[in-house]
Amino acid sequence: MPEWLLKDENYIPQSDKDAFITKSIMTLLGVLSRIRAQSVYKEKKFKVSAALKVAFTFVLILLISISKSIAFTIIINVYLLAVLSMMNGEEIIKILKVSIVTSAFTFVILLPAAFWGNLFSSIFITSKVFATVTAVNMLSHSTRWNSITSALKRFYVPDIFILVMDITIKYIFMLGEFSLNMFYALKLRSVGKNKSKYTSLSGIAGTMFIKSNEMAEDMYSAMECRGFTGEYQVINKKYKMTFPDFVYIIMNIALILIFIYMERV
Amino acid sequence: MHIPDNYLSPSTCAVMGAVMVPIWAVSVRKVKKEISKVKVPLLGVGASFSFLMMMFNVPVPGGTTAHAVGGTLIAVLLGPFAACISVTVALLIQALLFGDGGILSFGANCFNMAFVLPFLGYFIYKFIKDRVNSEKGEYLALIIGSYIGINFAAFCAAVEFGIQPLLFKNAAGQPLYSPYPLSVSIPAMTLPHLLVAGVVEAVFTVAIFSFIKKVSPGTIYEGAKKKTKAIYGLIVALICLTPIGLLAAGTAWGEWGADEISSVETGGNALGFVPAGMKNGFNFSALMSDYGIKGLPDAAGYILSAIAGVVILLIVFKIIGSLKKNKAGNISG
Repeated sequence: MPEWLLKDENYIPQSDKDAFITKSIMTLLGVLSRIRAQSVYKEKKFKVSAALKVAFTFVLILLISISKSIAFTIIINVYLLAVLSMMNGEEIIKILKVSIVTSAFTFVILLPAAFWGNLFSSIFITSKVFATVTAVNMLSHSTRWNSITSALKRFYVPDIFILVMDITIKYIFMLGEFSLNMFYALKLRSVGKNKSKYTSLSGIAGTMFIKSNEMAEDMYSAMECRGFTGEYQVINKKYKMTFPDFVYIIMNIALILIFIYMERV
Repeated sequence: MHIPDNYLSPSTCAVMGAVMVPIWAVSVRKVKKEISKVKVPLLGVGASFSFLMMMFNVPVPGGTTAHAVGGTLIAVLLGPFAACISVTVALLIQALLFGDGGILSFGANCFNMAFVLPFLGYFIYKFIKDRVNSEKGEYLALIIGSYIGINFAAFCAAVEFGIQPLLFKNAAGQPLYSPYPLSVSIPAMTLPHLLVAGVVEAVFTVAIFSFIKKVSPGTIYEGAKKKTKAIYGLIVALICLTPIGLLAAGTAWGEWGADEISSVETGGNALGFVPAGMKNGFNFSALMSDYGIKGLPDAAGYILSAIAGVVILLIVFKIIGSLKKNKAGNISG
């Protein structure tokens, strides 16, 4: 064994700031885990069709937005929390985290307005924001993303947009993992002071672009080889109304009626 | 700069959405024409690139981090029309699946970040680059383009916020949506962008662009030089079209109702529910038109300020256009 291997070394690396790498890694990991959670998604017993969910979530957001009565907003919030309480704990935490952070942010932004005597609108808008963010996140957490995109098909969103969206989600994952690995490499190799860390960041982003270009070309050739001509068709399954669908529709129609009742002034 | 729901009134959102429709239509057509074959995958991958771009945290003096939008960079790399579609899809995924940015305010967000930011950034870049034929000029063009692009997008968002309290109040005179007038919203939005975000965006854009140029110069989008005039014409045409979109905002509501109803119909064998859905739909639009008539002065003021916004845009582009003409005149004369 060589002599130098046996010697004790007390090398203490100089501390350096790398908060931005850690933060980038955390953001990327958050996105990737959201997408990864899709693949282990379990089929629920009481499943409402995605098309209905998308349509009524949109209607609900519209109602919240045009509503002028705080009572209606409170009713919607209670309704959403009630539906939320039927989801499992992990999902509830994830959804509430986003809604609470967003509405707290909104409240802070509107705080100066409250001091100017607009306390009403500060509370009103904060509760509206809470409701809309919760509604969207409930949709996104309780439905497989590919059924959301195929639900868009029912609303006559052009095929090309649906295809592009599907590809995008897939490639966010692939390119995300790719750049995540580069971030890990940068973090691991930056022992002590590393002055070129900032330039490496642009290197990562640049490499991601070059890689994405290559991937797009590969994907196009692969699709062409399989007979893709640029036309894209979605197989429209015959749609059957289920019992949960009926319950869902009735609940939402009830909400719309409440809205009409509350807003007739 | 992602505007969540309920900061803007639904009618503002409708107008912004209506403005975006012709822009999307033109972009899709342009992309199909420019990219010889239907390279749909490129759009998807471009969208995921622009989505991930916003995940990159850049250190900011003072110990915190910020993220760049990268709109100008994507426009320079993929071309402005492809950038418009890519950023739109990225924003849609953020709104629909990640709850970042509103569903109703999607049109407004697209207007700021998928239209104003990449197009303005790109054309300023192109304008300077075509005149200064040196590498330094190109980087200067990139810096100015991305800096102005993001700041103008922030300004647009500020205007959208700022007109809300002027137009939408309840009976007690309290604002229903964003309560800050233009005098507050413009400095609040533009100052951080002028001082921090704009600088981050410019540095990030130049750093990545120079990296790609060094490593793989062939992949950067090359807008044909002689085409610029046609593109300017197109931009002017687009701006002329926007007031039409504005006027059509009323019909957009009606159209929406019709769409909604037909989607209920295609919903399958739930025929028993269609009348209920239709009834609600009609009540709905009746409510909306009521609102419009009741608040006629409000609506008029609203349209007025929307026109003012378009006119300001027009003036900016006109100034750019006339600068270009003057320069061209100087060179020929």
